[in-house]
Amino acid sequence: MTGSTIDHLVSLMVFLGAILLFIGLFNQTIQTAILYQRHRFIATKCSDLLDNMLLNPGIPLYWGKSNCTPTGFGLQDPEFMQYKLSPFSLMRLRSSTGEPVYYPKTGLTYSNITMGFGNFLLVPYTKAINYSTAASLLGVNGTYGFQLTITPIITVSISEVQPKNPLRISVNVTGTGFPLSNAMVSYCFLTVSLTGGEGAYPAYTMKYGNVSTDEKGSVLIEFAEVNDDKVSYAFIAYAHLSGLIGVGYHERVTSVKQYIIPFIDDLAERRVLIAHSYDVHYFGPPNAELSYNATFVLLTEDFTLREMPMENSTGKVGKVNYGVGNPYGVVTIPTYNPGILVITYRKSAVEGGVILMPWGMSSMAFPVTFGEDPLGKEWVATDIRQVLVNNIAYQAKLALWSLEGYQVIG
Amino acid sequence: MMRTIEVFLVIIIITAAFIISSFYAVLPQPRQVSPLNLRRLALTTLQTLDVDYDLSETVFKPSNDTAWGELQIVLSACLPPNIVYNLSVYEVISGSSGELYKFTKSISNVESLGVSSDASSYLVASSNVTFHVTPEKIGQHGGGGTLYILNCSDANGWWITGYIAQSLAEDLYKLLSPYFVKTIMVQNTEQLAQILNNNTLQGEPVQNAVIINTFGEAVPIPSAYCKSQFSTDNYARYCYFLGQKVRLYNWTWVSIVGYPFYYVSNKQNFSSSQNTYGIYGMIRVGRPEHQDGGQSGINAFLQGLDNRTQYTYDRTKLIPDKGVVVTLSRQVLEACNYYGIYPSHNQTSTRALKSFILSDYNLKIGLSIFNNFTVSGTVYNPGSLYQHIFKNDNKITGSLLALGLTRTPDIRLTAISLLSYYKPRLYRSEYNATGTSRLVILQLGQVGGI
Repeated sequence: MTGSTIDHLVSLMVFLGAILLFIGLFNQTIQTAILYQRHRFIATKCSDLLDNMLLNPGIPLYWGKSNCTPTGFGLQDPEFMQYKLSPFSLMRLRSSTGEPVYYPKTGLTYSNITMGFGNFLLVPYTKAINYSTAASLLGVNGTYGFQLTITPIITVSISEVQPKNPLRISVNVTGTGFPLSNAMVSYCFLTVSLTGGEGAYPAYTMKYGNVSTDEKGSVLIEFAEVNDDKVSYAFIAYAHLSGLIGVGYHERVTSVKQYIIPFIDDLAERRVLIAHSYDVHYFGPPNAELSYNATFVLLTEDFTLREMPMENSTGKVGKVNYGVGNPYGVVTIPTYNPGILVITYRKSAVEGGVILMPWGMSSMAFPVTFGEDPLGKEWVATDIRQVLVNNIAYQAKLALWSLEGYQVIG
Repeated sequence: MMRTIEVFLVIIIITAAFIISSFYAVLPQPRQVSPLNLRRLALTTLQTLDVDYDLSETVFKPSNDTAWGELQIVLSACLPPNIVYNLSVYEVISGSSGELYKFTKSISNVESLGVSSDASSYLVASSNVTFHVTPEKIGQHGGGGTLYILNCSDANGWWITGYIAQSLAEDLYKLLSPYFVKTIMVQNTEQLAQILNNNTLQGEPVQNAVIINTFGEAVPIPSAYCKSQFSTDNYARYCYFLGQKVRLYNWTWVSIVGYPFYYVSNKQNFSSSQNTYGIYGMIRVGRPEHQDGGQSGINAFLQGLDNRTQYTYDRTKLIPDKGVVVTLSRQVLEACNYYGIYPSHNQTSTRALKSFILSDYNLKIGLSIFNNFTVSGTVYNPGSLYQHIFKNDNKITGSLLALGLTRTPDIRLTAISLLSYYKPRLYRSEYNATGTSRLVILQLGQVGGI
């Protein structure tokens, strides 16, 4: 009897132990399978959401060219199909990388995409679309977090090799993984002339040309007319090969503390404010009045840059100064065709410079980073597409993660 | 003891079940859990490369052409470094039993595409295939939609130096007829008389039409109007009558160059008269004793347009004393890109009209074709579409498009002005072709990782 009971107890304990062990083993397999499904779902959602953003122009269709808040989020250019994005809708996305800029004279904070000195894009927060609005419009608010990055495929790096006699500029064209050899480079070289008496407006001369890159994707361009390293200039280059187009730019200025900062004021009216840098960075005193002369260049279909005339009535020339009582200048962009606003400025007969502002994100191939930072998030799915923004080749990448709280890492 | 043996038997069975189920429940590799959508990436890459139809051109080139090397460079440049590719091109041959795909060329940067790959196909057409654009018709939604182009064989033109009105009319027809519901060439002054009397020529609506006068500073006059009443002040009264008709039918009258209504022309009735420059069949408007009487034509027209009850002889000078280089307005420059019509954006204006006509004749500028300028404190409009709108009213009752430029006329300016004003949309249609198509397949693979 006792032996039978012991046998029963031992067998029961062994059986229960075995059952628990197997439940654990099966549970692990099932959990891994569920996680696989969750991850797979996030990856599919990522791909769908990216297409949803890129293949839909939003509501209203032309929200990128207005000041309104869209009721439907989408970045597609309403005048085209497929993966062609609106350069103006992209311009209205609040950048999540640049440090916001506060401009006391308007009392507004501006979304900042600045690509080195002299290349500004500042859009007021009141006109920019923020991340939570976009997430709500996409129907993922509270369920998924995302970051959308749109970066140019072609990088056109420009550097000064020799400052004068002659000025030598090196242009390097590379893709995401390879140099672009034998690419045609169309450039616009703008030199600033600071001649004239006190308070005179800066003048400028523009020169256009075409060159080809070598097998390493490089080309050296000389400007014999530049025989003084105090000459301020801007150099804008478009590189193109078999449908791939990239943009690069470079400036040299003689007044680096006092300069012009353009702020986009009204997208519907195409109005840009011209501010004195001291109003933003507080370098002064001493401060000095800056006179400026604005012009607008756009890329034509044959890849040449063309100056588009601006009327004086649009604020083409003016003067700005730092401090209370000195209003900012206002300039009106003459068109909705993407281009570059070039503003030459003059502090004195020897100090001046030039700054650039893209009108439409693509004209200077500015990148866009919109949304939350995925760093530290659990299981981030990513997907990429090649897109075109006004024919400039970009790569759109979406990083997506779940916010629903349950474990997504096995 | 038996029970323990039974339990071990059960454990063996469960273990076997676990092993067997684990054998079949194969978990995917990490790369398959959250894969990059290579199919979409391949498709968007092909679309990017074909942005200016470069890909379409390349795939039709011989296999030893340098364009293939460029294609390989851009493929390597635009794809992420961990993506390898194989691009294959097939010629599409249509046969009775379906389509046959014949391999023509392949380029790749790797021998094998790795463990996972995906592909997208893209059909391209030869550059010989025509790309169609279907324009929206002006007047399609709402009234009007008729374009009359004065092509009167029995009238002569002036200030259209180097051209004849008929050649200009033909060019205008080619440029503008796709945008209008009905385009009619008014072949003689008799037909002009018909539409002036609200009689249709081909069943078209006369109301809300656009009339382009291709005769420059001259305007054709039907024989029926070459008589007293209309001949007052050397046919300035006829210009007044035209203004009335433009208001009555809500026409848009287009003057392509120079000073509008400066001469009237009818080869038959004015066979012995000339415009003092040797062009017969033409009379200068205005009293002969007034050297500047020709300027009474536009004043008379505006009186008629403004529904003045009585015609008054008025030779007030409306133009500046000098020529000015003017630039196209922003709206028109934008339209140039949209419609693909590119006249020079700088033009010389010698016949700009003073802006005070706006208040004097209840006119409003519907479109500034050129930016205005000021001479001696007076603002001039070198090219504008003037809408006649009575005070306290919002209804347009007739319009005048006046391009006050110097000769020789660029007819593209007239076309782009009308298109800028009416803004018909362009619907770009997809192209397809048989026998001239090639299928491009881009297969992408991912290297590295597991």
